[in-house]
Amino acid sequence: MKKITPAKAGTYAVLTFWALTTLYPFVWVILNSFRERGLIRKDSFSIPLPGNGFTMGNYDKAMERFDFGSAYANSLIVSIAVTVAVVLIAGFAAYGLVRFRFKLRGVCYSLIMAGMMFPVFSTIIPVFRMEAAWGIASSGNRWLSLVAVILPQIAGNLCFAIIVLMGFIESVPMELEESAYMDGCNVFQVYFHIIMPAAKSSFATVAIFSFLWSYNDLFTQNFFLRVPREKTITLLLNEISSQAGVDYGLMAASVVLIVVPVLVVYVALQKHIIKGLTAGAIKG
Amino acid sequence: MKKNRLLALGLASALTLGLLAGCGGKPSAPGSTSGTGGDKSNSGAKPAGGVELTVVTSYGGDDGNRSNYENAVASYEAATGNKIMDASGTSNEEWKAKVLTDFQTGTEPDVLFFFTSSDAEPIIQAGKVVDIATIRATYPDYADNMRDSMLAVASDGKNYAIPSSGFWENMFVNTKVLSDCGVAVPGPDYTWDQFLADCETIKAKGYAPIACSLFEVPHYWFEFCIMNNGTLGEQLAIPGSATDAVGQKWAAGLNDIKDLYEKGYFPVNTLTATDAETVQLFAEGEAAFLIDGSWKINYFVDNYGDQLSDYAISYVPAKGERKASEAIGGISMGYFITKKAWDDPAKQAAAVEFVKHMTSDDVMSTFVTTEVTALKNGASPSGLNPLQQAAADANASITGVIGPVQDTITSESRTDLFANVQNVVTGKMSAEDAVASALALN
Amino acid sequence: MGPTLYRKKAPLIAFLLPAFVFLILFLYYPFIQNIINSFSDITGLGAPAQGLNTPWYANYATLFTDPKLRTALGNTVLLTICTVIFQVGIALILALLVDSIRVGAQLFRTLYFFPIVISATALGLMFNLIFLYNGGMLNQLLTNLGFAAENIDWKDPDHFLFTMFAPVMWQYVGFYFVILVTGLNNISQDLYEAAALDGCTGLNRVRYVTLPLLRNVLCTCLVLAITGSLKVFDLPWVMFGAGMPQDQGWLTGTYMYDQTFNRGNVDYGSAIAILIVVLGVLFSNIANRVFKPRNDI
Repeated sequence: MKKITPAKAGTYAVLTFWALTTLYPFVWVILNSFRERGLIRKDSFSIPLPGNGFTMGNYDKAMERFDFGSAYANSLIVSIAVTVAVVLIAGFAAYGLVRFRFKLRGVCYSLIMAGMMFPVFSTIIPVFRMEAAWGIASSGNRWLSLVAVILPQIAGNLCFAIIVLMGFIESVPMELEESAYMDGCNVFQVYFHIIMPAAKSSFATVAIFSFLWSYNDLFTQNFFLRVPREKTITLLLNEISSQAGVDYGLMAASVVLIVVPVLVVYVALQKHIIKGLTAGAIKG
Repeated sequence: MKKNRLLALGLASALTLGLLAGCGGKPSAPGSTSGTGGDKSNSGAKPAGGVELTVVTSYGGDDGNRSNYENAVASYEAATGNKIMDASGTSNEEWKAKVLTDFQTGTEPDVLFFFTSSDAEPIIQAGKVVDIATIRATYPDYADNMRDSMLAVASDGKNYAIPSSGFWENMFVNTKVLSDCGVAVPGPDYTWDQFLADCETIKAKGYAPIACSLFEVPHYWFEFCIMNNGTLGEQLAIPGSATDAVGQKWAAGLNDIKDLYEKGYFPVNTLTATDAETVQLFAEGEAAFLIDGSWKINYFVDNYGDQLSDYAISYVPAKGERKASEAIGGISMGYFITKKAWDDPAKQAAAVEFVKHMTSDDVMSTFVTTEVTALKNGASPSGLNPLQQAAADANASITGVIGPVQDTITSESRTDLFANVQNVVTGKMSAEDAVASALALN
Repeated sequence: MGPTLYRKKAPLIAFLLPAFVFLILFLYYPFIQNIINSFSDITGLGAPAQGLNTPWYANYATLFTDPKLRTALGNTVLLTICTVIFQVGIALILALLVDSIRVGAQLFRTLYFFPIVISATALGLMFNLIFLYNGGMLNQLLTNLGFAAENIDWKDPDHFLFTMFAPVMWQYVGFYFVILVTGLNNISQDLYEAAALDGCTGLNRVRYVTLPLLRNVLCTCLVLAITGSLKVFDLPWVMFGAGMPQDQGWLTGTYMYDQTFNRGNVDYGSAIAILIVVLGVLFSNIANRVFKPRNDI
C-alpha cells in the first residue's frame, strides 16, 4: 500500500543512526554492569553470559552499602515539589510578561535573561548563609533540609522556564482570549481556561526539564544535604563513584540503578507526556 | 500568599535562631556552670544516652579507613545509646571549604575530624573550637592516653585536636614486574643513578616504570625530589624567593621530575590520566614503581587481596645528602570538639565521650597498622597482612621521617604549584617561574 | 496595541510577584553579594571580605591579562558556535524528519530524549569509560577493527576538543529536539492543509511555512544554547577536571569553579561570574536582534 520512496528511506536511515548513538552507550553500560571485575577493560563488547564473566556482584555491592529506598524518596520529594512550583510560578510570570504592556517590561525581561546566566557556584554561598540564618539549612531536620534544597532549585529553574514558556505563549492566537473576555471571563480564568490548555504541551516540556534538572543536580544537593537520611539518589551515585575508584563494574551498576527508574517512569508516562506534547496539533 | 508565609517562616526562624544564640551565649560565660553539669554526668560514668551528635570527618568516600571508622561509630552508639549523624566527606579542597563555611554560618558539627595544620587556624582564631586544657579542667582523663608533646600546637600556643593515626609516604614496588625485568627490589641504599638505570631496563621491557598521574598527584614526587636536592633537616624550609637557596632546591626538584618525564618513565598519559587509573596500572602489573601513602595499603587489601604478595614497600631513590631510608610522614589530622557542642549541656559529655572513644587505644589499633601515633602505649594492631608486614619491615629500616613541606604553605599556593607541574615538565614554564608563581600566593 | 483584556494592570502584580520574590531572594540578592565580592579581598571560601581590593578593580584588570581565562574564553566561544550549529542544527533536522513520518515517530522521540534523562555525573562516568585510554570502549573498538595500532589518548592536546565537545553536543541535541518538536506540534494542521492547497509541499513547505512559524521557538533555542554553553560545567568537569590537558582545556564555567572552590580565589571567581553574565546577556541580545526582527521586547 505504502510505497517506500528514497526520501522516506533516507529519513529513516538518519533517524535510526541517531537513535543508535543515543541508545548504544546505555546498552554498553548495562552489559558491563553485569560483567566481572577486570574483564571490562579487556573485552567490553561481548554479552556477559553465565560462566563467561556474568555476575550480579556489582549490584549486590551497590545495594548492600546504600539505602536506595530513602534516597529515591528524597529525590522524588525534592523534584516533584520543584516541578510543581516552577510550572505554576513560571507560567504566571510568562503570561504576565507576554500579554501585558507595561513600563518595566523590558527591564523584567532582561533581569530574567541575566538570571539564567548566574552560575550556581557564585550564588550558593550567600544562599546557604541566608538559609542557615532562617534555620532551614544544616538544621539536622530532614524535611527542613529538603526545603533548603527545593527553594534555590525553584529559583534556578524559573528563568529557563519563563523564557521557554514566553516563547510558546506568544504563539497562542489572541483571538480566543479576546472572545473569552467578551464572554465575561477575568484574566485568571482566561489564563487557566485558555492559555494553559492551549500551551499544555509547553507546560509539559517545562515540567519534564524542571524535574530532570532537579533530580540530576548534584551541586546544590551536595551543598545542602549532608547526613545519610537526607541524601538523594544523585548524591548516592556520587558517593559510590568516589568510593569505586577504578571499579568500573560497580560504577556501571550504579549508573544503571540511578538511570533506570527515571527511564521507566519516563517510558511509562510518555503516553501522557507525548499526549501533552502533541495536544496542540490535530494529528491523525 | 505562599510567599508571605514563606517569608514569615524565614523571619520566624531567624528570630528563633537569634534567641537560641542568645541563650547559648549565657552558659558559656560562667564556665563553671557548664563545668559542674559536665562533672555530674562524668561522675555518672556514662552519659544519659539518646543524644544526637553531628560529626564531620574525612573518612567518607574511598578512604581506606572508612569501614574501621564506621565500626568505631557503631560501637560508640551501642555503648552509649547516643546517635551519630555522620556527615563525613572525602578530604579535598572543596571539602575543607565546606567545613569552614559551616563554621562561618553557625551550622558547624559537634565533633570535627580535621587537619591540624594551617587549615584549622580560621576556626581556632574565631574561637569556634575548645582547647584541650579547658576540656581537661572538667574531664581530667580527656586524651590522657596521648603524649602531650605530640599534640599539634596552634598559633596561640594551645592544643586543640586529639591526634588520630598518622601516615607515612614511601615507595611501593610491583615485585612481579621487577622480577620480570630482572631488577632487584630496592633496598635502603637505593641511589638515583641506579633508579634511572632500572627505569631504562623496565621501559625497554614495555612496562611503565613509574605509575603516577602528574596531573592529579605530582605532590608525592615533589616532596621526595626536593628532599633529594637538600636534606631531611632542611625539608620544611620555605623559599623566600625563587632564586634563594631553598627556591633553587625546589626548582631543582621540579627539574628532576621533568627529567623523568622527558625520559618517558611516566605512563604515556600521565598528564591526562587520573590517580585511580595510574594506581591501577601499578596494581595490575603494568607499572613498577609508585610513591604513595600508608592509606593505600588498605586499598590494595580491599581490591587486590588475592595478590598482595606482588607488592612490596621499598625506598625512594636518594641523591646527594639524603639517604633512601629517609621518608615523609607525620600526624596531620585530629578530633576537635566545637564550642557549640561544648556549650550545650545536653551534648558536652556525649561529645567528649565520643572523642575519647575514637582515640582510645583499642579503637586506634583498628585504624593503625604501620603508621605513627601519639599514643603513650603505642597501637597494637593485630594480624598484619603480608603487605602491612612488608611495610612494617621496611619501616624498621627507616632512619628519618619529616612532615611534608606542602602542608605548611597556603592551600592557594599549594594548588598553584601542583597545577603548574604539568607545565614545567612539558617545558611551557620554567621551574623557577612555577616556584615564583606559587610563592606569590603564599 | 494590546486588547482590552490586558488594559487593567492590577492582576499583573499577582502574575509577576511570586516569580520575582523567588528570583530576588535566591538569585539577585546572592548575585549582588557576588558583585561586591568581586571588588573585595577574600582569602578563602566562606571567609569574610577583608575590605576592598587595591586597586578596587584589580580583579577586572586581571581578567584582561590572564592567559588561562583567554584560553577559557576561546574554548567557550568555539563551544557556543558548535552548539548553535550542531546542537540546534541537528535537533532541527531531526525534529523536521520526525515530524514528517508516522510510523515510529513515537519511538524516536523517546530514544532521543534518553541522554537528557541522565545526570551529568552518570554521563561523565560513562564517557570516561568510553574514552578511557587503557581499554576504553573507543580504543577497544578501534584496535579490534584495526583502525589504530595503539591506544589513542583521547584527552591529549590533539584530541581533547573532540572528547570534550562531542558528549556535550550529543547530550543536548535531545533537549533542543524536544523543544522544537513541541514547537512543531503547536503549528496548526490547518495551515499545512492550506499550504498544500496552494501546492506548497516538501522542502518548500518547510521553507515557507514551518520555519517562519518556528521562529520564536528557534530564537528561544538560540538564547538557551548561548547561555547554556557559557555555563557548561559538569560534564567537562567530571571528564577533564582542572584545565586538562595542560591548561588548554579550560571553559569559563570550569575555570570559575576552579578559582572559587579549589583555589579559594573567591573574589576573582566572582569577577569571572560577572564576565559570564555580561557576555551571556550581550550575546543573547545580539542573537535576539538578528533573528527576531519583529522584536517587541
